[in-house]
Amino acid sequence: MQFLISGIIMGVLYCLMSLGVNFIYGIMKVINWAIGEFFMIGAYVQYLLIVTVLGPRYWYIGVFIVAFCTFFLGAFVQKILIKPMFVGMVEEKTEYATIVTIAMAILFRNLAIFIGGPYIYTPPDYAPPTRIGPLPLSGNNFIAFIGTIAILALFFYFLKRTWIGKAFQAVSQNRSGVLTAGIDVLKFDMIAFGIGTALAGAGGALLAPVILVYPLCGVIPTVRGFEIIVIGGLGSIPGVLVAGLSIGIAESLGAAFINPSFVDIYGFGLLMLILLIKPYGLFGKPERSV
Amino acid sequence: MKDFGGLRAVNNVSLNIKEGEIQGLIGPNGSGKTTMINLIAGNYKIDKGAIYFSRERIDGLQPYVIASKGIMRTFQISRVFKDMTVLENMMIPALTQNQSMIKAKALAEELLEFALLTRLKDEPAKNLSGGQNMLLQIVRGFMNKNIRLYLLDEPFAGVHQIIKGVILRTIKKMNEEKGITFIVVSHELTTIQYLCHQISVLHRGEIISQGTMEEVANDPSVIDAYLGG
Amino acid sequence: MILPFYLADYWIYALTLTFYYVIMAVTWNLLGGYTGQFSLSHHTFAMIGSYTSVLLIIKTGIPLWMSMASSWIFTAFISLLLGILCLRMRGIYLALTTWAFAEIVKTYIRMDFEFTGGDRGLNAPLFFKTMNPIPYYYLFLAFAILTIIVIAIIMRSRIGYYLRTIRNDEVAAQAMGVNTVRWKVFAFMVASVFASVAGTLYGHFTGLISPVSGDFYEMSLIIIFVVIGGMRSQAGPVVGTISVRFLAEVLKKWPEIRMIILALVVILIMRFFNGGVMEFLRQGVQRIRQRKGRNPVSGLQKMEPRQR
Repeated sequence: MQFLISGIIMGVLYCLMSLGVNFIYGIMKVINWAIGEFFMIGAYVQYLLIVTVLGPRYWYIGVFIVAFCTFFLGAFVQKILIKPMFVGMVEEKTEYATIVTIAMAILFRNLAIFIGGPYIYTPPDYAPPTRIGPLPLSGNNFIAFIGTIAILALFFYFLKRTWIGKAFQAVSQNRSGVLTAGIDVLKFDMIAFGIGTALAGAGGALLAPVILVYPLCGVIPTVRGFEIIVIGGLGSIPGVLVAGLSIGIAESLGAAFINPSFVDIYGFGLLMLILLIKPYGLFGKPERSV
Repeated sequence: MKDFGGLRAVNNVSLNIKEGEIQGLIGPNGSGKTTMINLIAGNYKIDKGAIYFSRERIDGLQPYVIASKGIMRTFQISRVFKDMTVLENMMIPALTQNQSMIKAKALAEELLEFALLTRLKDEPAKNLSGGQNMLLQIVRGFMNKNIRLYLLDEPFAGVHQIIKGVILRTIKKMNEEKGITFIVVSHELTTIQYLCHQISVLHRGEIISQGTMEEVANDPSVIDAYLGG
Repeated sequence: MILPFYLADYWIYALTLTFYYVIMAVTWNLLGGYTGQFSLSHHTFAMIGSYTSVLLIIKTGIPLWMSMASSWIFTAFISLLLGILCLRMRGIYLALTTWAFAEIVKTYIRMDFEFTGGDRGLNAPLFFKTMNPIPYYYLFLAFAILTIIVIAIIMRSRIGYYLRTIRNDEVAAQAMGVNTVRWKVFAFMVASVFASVAGTLYGHFTGLISPVSGDFYEMSLIIIFVVIGGMRSQAGPVVGTISVRFLAEVLKKWPEIRMIILALVVILIMRFFNGGVMEFLRQGVQRIRQRKGRNPVSGLQKMEPRQR
């Protein structure tokens, strides 16, 4: 039972990453391979904030600031790099987006090493260890969990209840159609990208004390994030939750009952299974061509 | 019969076309004309019924298999291979029917000559105008040495008068000299009248009238369909 | 290429490594550049090749040439399966699925250390029973040249035409009679088998294989080489690999700056100069020709002065 709980917790933590990617994909049909690097940037900025100005007790302020910063960074990146795709200056779109975002990931990673050095920084704990029932839980994990749930809740509220959120849903369903409704799709693109990266950045800020802050700290979340996407289906928001939970649970159960050293493989095992049965993921939809 | 999740695009269509005929397919927007072509060409699968070509069932086959049986098609929005030259575009249907590269090239140059496109033969297709693209698309189909049926989806849409003339000339010539059968979908009724031996009118997925242009134009159900919708 | 006899061991090794990457770049270009199947698991097949070969030797003791050949056949089979799985996928899904495949294989090799040696890697028997790098230099050079020639032949043939149509417009290609199923899988298999040959050769050259070769970093290197040199050209991947490797050696004291520069160059090229170095050269040649009075675009001869 406790494995179930820890599985759920871990699963949820990784959802933020894939939510960011899926949301961006839903709006722009572009996969941001550099999402992990925004996570990493978030973690670094949060570390700086906490160590210099805020102190660990005000971690949530840090998260807000980080989300803000990564939002603007993302929007900026989108404007100079991604937007040209849609203004007719690029021919081979998916290829362009993939190559450019991969290059961005490399760029950011190496910038991090260059600026901050190849060290691991350990932010101070956000909160003392607690328990959930009989299960001991590190304070940081607990905070990360609560924080993630809060952000997820906020995000869903935004998506379903506010009119901007509904506009985003509309854009993801019919890009050209919304133009006639007077929506400036290009601006929405930019905002969507910003939101996606902000989600990742916030995730980085929340998880900084758990995963620790170093240049490649965005790699594992990226891998987990994409695992979730492949299982849950590209572009599907509910898929993210289902997949995230499934992976978390699969990992915990596998580690508990089969073999703890194989931890990473269980998520992938699940992935392989799903890919064979449903190549587009649980909730994914193939693109129409003709 | 073809359903699209609740929308019955084509219903109960029974269309018989004689060999060597130029058949026109007209109808108001959304009547299912392009769907018909997609069904015959193998891009869509039919839900019920069968499609026969020369006594052979062809429904359910892959588009490239159908092409090898001699059925070629064009698309409403020209699908040419943008990063390949006009000449290379032309060679493809010949190559897939196992012509040698040399023969394919020669045949391509011949056809390009006939279509007045020789000057552009080494241009990447993306540099062509819309009308030139349509012309290229159409002439390209004739490179298939087995071609017996040609499905043209709106070949005149947005095309310059001169190019339209070339297209018409080509269709007539291929029909008369090689006996190729055509199904031409178009909105341009005068052109259809000039070109086609017989006309079918499609409305809401069903054929409501068939015959020559006079017969069809005077058919009250046709008038009703175009005006009433 | 009598160079190797004049160079220090380090440079011979560096050049040999470059030839390895040339093979990877040229073959990925066939799949990703020409056919439009943007695979993110090319490096994985090199790793599958080397691991299969080494594991076969360790577990069954068969001779080297047999284990290598078997590993290539095994890779062909795996790539056939993956190719079929990816048939219906376009662009993004293909990238995602191949990425997942790459991660799965890498993670498995890292995890199952009893069988595969995990992160510690495995010792591989050497191809030539010697530590002298010179025969390996020629081996890789020869294979690189072979690869370039084979890919060039494929692209000049009708198969090359088919592959290019698949990338341009798959639906139209099918309508023109191209068996896209067959040729997509073909491209997948050819590229992957060549990668596995390169991988096995490399494994039996360095004597040590490890899951690091399956890292996404390796794949991004290949992409960098091809993009900078020019996707969709014969010489592009070769030129790209050689020049970037050269740059990498020059800047080897500052590895991060090196990658930063490369990443920026890739971004700039994608944004402004899509065809990479080869396109840059081609346009340069065109401009020179134009200045000489002949307009290569429309084939027209120099116009009468008054018509300008």
